[in-house]
Amino acid sequence: MSGVLAKLYAFLYLRGFRVWVSYRTQMVLNVLSWVLPVFTYYFVGTSLGKRITTSVHIMSYTSFFVVGLAFQGYVSSSIVTISQRLRNEQLYGTLEYYVLSPVGVFGFLTYSAVWGFTLNTLNAAVILAVGAGLGVSYSGANMLGAAILVLMLVASTFGIGMMSAALVMVTKQGNPISFFFSTFTTLMSGTVFPVNALPYVVRLVSYALPLTWALDGLRLALLQGATIIQLSPYITIMGVFDLVTIPLGAAVYKLCFDYVRRKGTISQY
Amino acid sequence: MIETRGITKFFANGKRGVVSALCNINIRVRPGTPVALVGPNGAGKTTLIRVLSTLILPSSGEAYVNGYSVVDQPKEVKRSIGLVTVSDRLFYYRLTAMENLVFYATLYNLGLGEARKRARETLSIVGLSGWADTKTMHYSTGMLRRLALARAILHDPPVIMLDEPTLGIDVVSSRNVRRLVRQLGEERTVLFTSHYMKDVEEIAGYVYIIKGGRIVAEGSPQDLTRLVGRVVELEVYEDELPDSYRRFVVTYRNGHVTLRIPESIVDDLKAHTVEERSVQPTLEDVYVSLVGESSMDVRPYQFRRGGTNEWRAG
Repeated sequence: MSGVLAKLYAFLYLRGFRVWVSYRTQMVLNVLSWVLPVFTYYFVGTSLGKRITTSVHIMSYTSFFVVGLAFQGYVSSSIVTISQRLRNEQLYGTLEYYVLSPVGVFGFLTYSAVWGFTLNTLNAAVILAVGAGLGVSYSGANMLGAAILVLMLVASTFGIGMMSAALVMVTKQGNPISFFFSTFTTLMSGTVFPVNALPYVVRLVSYALPLTWALDGLRLALLQGATIIQLSPYITIMGVFDLVTIPLGAAVYKLCFDYVRRKGTISQY
Repeated sequence: MIETRGITKFFANGKRGVVSALCNINIRVRPGTPVALVGPNGAGKTTLIRVLSTLILPSSGEAYVNGYSVVDQPKEVKRSIGLVTVSDRLFYYRLTAMENLVFYATLYNLGLGEARKRARETLSIVGLSGWADTKTMHYSTGMLRRLALARAILHDPPVIMLDEPTLGIDVVSSRNVRRLVRQLGEERTVLFTSHYMKDVEEIAGYVYIIKGGRIVAEGSPQDLTRLVGRVVELEVYEDELPDSYRRFVVTYRNGHVTLRIPESIVDDLKAHTVEERSVQPTLEDVYVSLVGESSMDVRPYQFRRGGTNEWRAG
């Protein structure tokens, strides 16, 4: 147990927070990148919002996109963060030390993901707070239901992040999984407009993304106070995503790791 | 203890097909006798270190580290080794030396208190206690090498492998690193690679000379230097020097060149020699005689063949 706590301290505080705050400009830009889109969509919403969201029975467009923006970061930036972290370790020449330590690359990715998710939780909290300032009400929110959905979203994201990082081990640069999720989640997952506004074929793709279901459930939980029973369809679907993405992520990781060991390219970048 | 039997490693290399990086490598490294792997760039030294540290899978053969198979028991091997690689970076520059070592210690399942204690101890061993709270971005290359040594012994491994531990560092830092490696090798199993014969002479109790993925000679430094027999230093007119002797040149001056060369092969040069004197043979003489200028030089001076590897001294 003390070993796990020590690793959490090492990855969250030393490798995560201490390094993050040491790049002050980057830190400020990170926070701005969380906040500014909220205002962008707020002003878009003043002219278009109501027409967009009445189709999904949410009267306030601001409430709609605030929840979307708050939680889409778990997918897009987490996946990029995990694979980028692996790439950074290749560049630093430190990846081999993870491979050689008992924690291994798998453990390194897991603990790195914890930092990524911590940062995204901070990101979500800031956006939800700014949303509250813009009039979004969370009174009556089902926090337990929301927490369950977030945890399930994090689990599925971790599986996808594992696949993404595993590909980076092989390709070094150029990561299709990271590209897809960082580029298309905002467009396809109902982050800033409902998926039923999309063409039918694109909508089918959006239903294959865990974030689409998680956001629908989170809006119900946070904005309408839906009970666990009412959220159960979303929880079930997220459970299916978790059951698929986590073993698949682990399998792709093992495949890629064995491949680079045979090729002798672990430390190449 | 490190032992390999017939380790071979092939790499696929695009249009060149398959390249043999290691070919039938047999080495043995015992605790208390540091062993050096020397050879030109591309000889296979780093590949062998990577195979032994489980970073690369061998194509065939067996290798055991601390009694564990690098192929079948990689977890046990990893727990048994400390590795110093040759990379330029190696640390989180935004963290202090202490923070870096605590971070790496936690990877070995040490609790926070124990991690801090080990970090302090190892910083003291490598003489960096006074710099514990300095960010590693402010460290010199020599200090980073010593810090890399500290990291390698954080979990007190019985086997330490170092890839060119003195590469790119100044004279005094090199001395410090050599002293540290020698101390570590008094009780532990130490295998290191180097291009510097000074490192080998000061640290190693046994040497493998590797070229083109094959071991071309092995023995203690003393035995290897006896191998070349008498060595002479010759002064020859540069324009009369046959190309095949250029690898023996140590200085060029005013149209003359000075060569250090085994006496047994100087016959062709006798006619061109301006001056000749006997000198003590060194490991460098052995290296130049056996290896030549690079891995691509396929005509090394041959002493004799035999044994498991091509040549064994002593």
